[in-house]
Amino acid sequence: MTTTCTAEDLRHINRSVDDIREELGVDPVSVRAISDPAIYELEREKIFSKTWLKVATIWELPHAGDYKVKELPVADASVLIVRGKDGRIRAFHNVCTHRGNKVVPSSGFETFGRSRANVVTCRFHGWVFSTDGPLRSVPMKEKFGKLDTACLGLREIHCDSWEGFVFIHFDPEPAQTLTDYLGDFGRLFGGYPYAESTTAFRYSTVLNCNWKVAHYAFSEGYHVPTIHAGSLPGFKGVEHGDFKLMGPHASSTIYGAGMDTAPSTLAFASMLSTTERHRPRPDQLPPAINPERRADFQFELPNLFPNFIIHLASGCGYPGMSFFTHQFWPLDHGRTLWEGINYFRPAQNAAEQVAQQHVNALHRNAWLEDTATMEDTFAGIMSGSIDAMQLMDQEFLIRHAARTLDTYLAA
Amino acid sequence: MTDPILPAPFVDLAPLAAHWARPSENERSEIRWSASAADFRALYEAMMPRLDAILRLLSEHPASGMPEDVHNLFLLACAFAEASPHHELYGGSSAVPFSFDARRFVRMDGDAAL
Ligand code: FES
Ligand SMILES: [Fe+2]
Repeated sequence: MTTTCTAEDLRHINRSVDDIREELGVDPVSVRAISDPAIYELEREKIFSKTWLKVATIWELPHAGDYKVKELPVADASVLIVRGKDGRIRAFHNVCTHRGNKVVPSSGFETFGRSRANVVTCRFHGWVFSTDGPLRSVPMKEKFGKLDTACLGLREIHCDSWEGFVFIHFDPEPAQTLTDYLGDFGRLFGGYPYAESTTAFRYSTVLNCNWKVAHYAFSEGYHVPTIHAGSLPGFKGVEHGDFKLMGPHASSTIYGAGMDTAPSTLAFASMLSTTERHRPRPDQLPPAINPERRADFQFELPNLFPNFIIHLASGCGYPGMSFFTHQFWPLDHGRTLWEGINYFRPAQNAAEQVAQQHVNALHRNAWLEDTATMEDTFAGIMSGSIDAMQLMDQEFLIRHAARTLDTYLAA
Repeated sequence: MTDPILPAPFVDLAPLAAHWARPSENERSEIRWSASAADFRALYEAMMPRLDAILRLLSEHPASGMPEDVHNLFLLACAFAEASPHHELYGGSSAVPFSFDARRFVRMDGDAAL
């Protein structure tokens, strides 16, 4: 569902720096939520079981029978996300109702597959389930003294999608629909043709840090001129502005006058910036993002609580890049699975594909610079030598996320 | 191993293609991680003056289903696309300076061959 809003409709989410200082305060923010393992247990119960979590995109699962298994230790869950014969995407616990084996075997944190017959079969004793959930067949069924097959379908998890992003909610009765949970965030970011950008370069790594250390490092533009001096040399004047607060979510805009572009990057970029499908498209941005359509717009940097970021660039920042996302999945208190994905519209020819490889490599290298800080930051916080983070205006997303976290934990 | 075949205007790049051109990102990364500043310079000096001509030729071919010689050139261009920042930005270092260990980044999609 698409709900586009004019910039005027969303005027109430805009904040000046003074507003941000007044609403969120200017004091240092305690690091206890990062350092205390007991808080992590609370987060599992009060946040990751009580919010909508992005787990897939609809274009990853284009055909009936396409599925994805996502291992989510934060919820002690293996989740099967699958497109049924009726075209609907559903989510189930990947758990056989016979005795609990995994129905679809998986390796690593994420496994893709396709069931042409629209069934999944548990390898332990051969129970067969439809991709829309019901138990279809049981070997030697007559040998069970009692078996209520009608009640033994896969255990469903609430699942809904917004703009092609698939979300799940572990609570059996979510307090809010996905639309209500996203609220003004859904209206601010709605309307961009996300689903056209089906070419994805997807990276992950396991970081020895609390998930919020990784999340916060990707939530501000303050670090760009220093940490990215190697991969973004001569970055001229990062302007991090247009602050917006939207319930548990928040957003802001990175403007910048560009950087010293290397000769090879210029050549590759020209393959993309001169074509209709890959060129900068400020006109496609939702109306309340970069409302003045400034030419130095780089990307919109939101925090979709609790653990998802969509950087919407519309080709204006990195050449040809439509958008990129980050997600931070806690594995335990001090370990995090980070997933970073660069999305492009499909290349029309081999030269565009090479150019996308170059842009992807530059961005992946910048991510190597970002991730370099995270384990040290966590070790520093765990040393107990600092009690608080000092946060400047451009780090307001951190301040806001920390406050939202406290609110959920206190609920 | 015999050098890979390349389209006529680029046959002289065959020794570079033999060294650098590989179908998967992980394979290309392995080669890049073991490259010296001199290796990056040699690749750069051979490729950069021809880059526009290479991209022009590649732009005439679809992203998949290229003839073998064009495909070899494409893979060499992919290797260059990933290697050029090491010469232009990182002073010939095979690692991004002040970075996380690149070997710990995992291609989540199984790194399909191009
Ligand atoms: S546990 Fe799945 S069929 Fe027995
Ligand atoms: Fe960064």
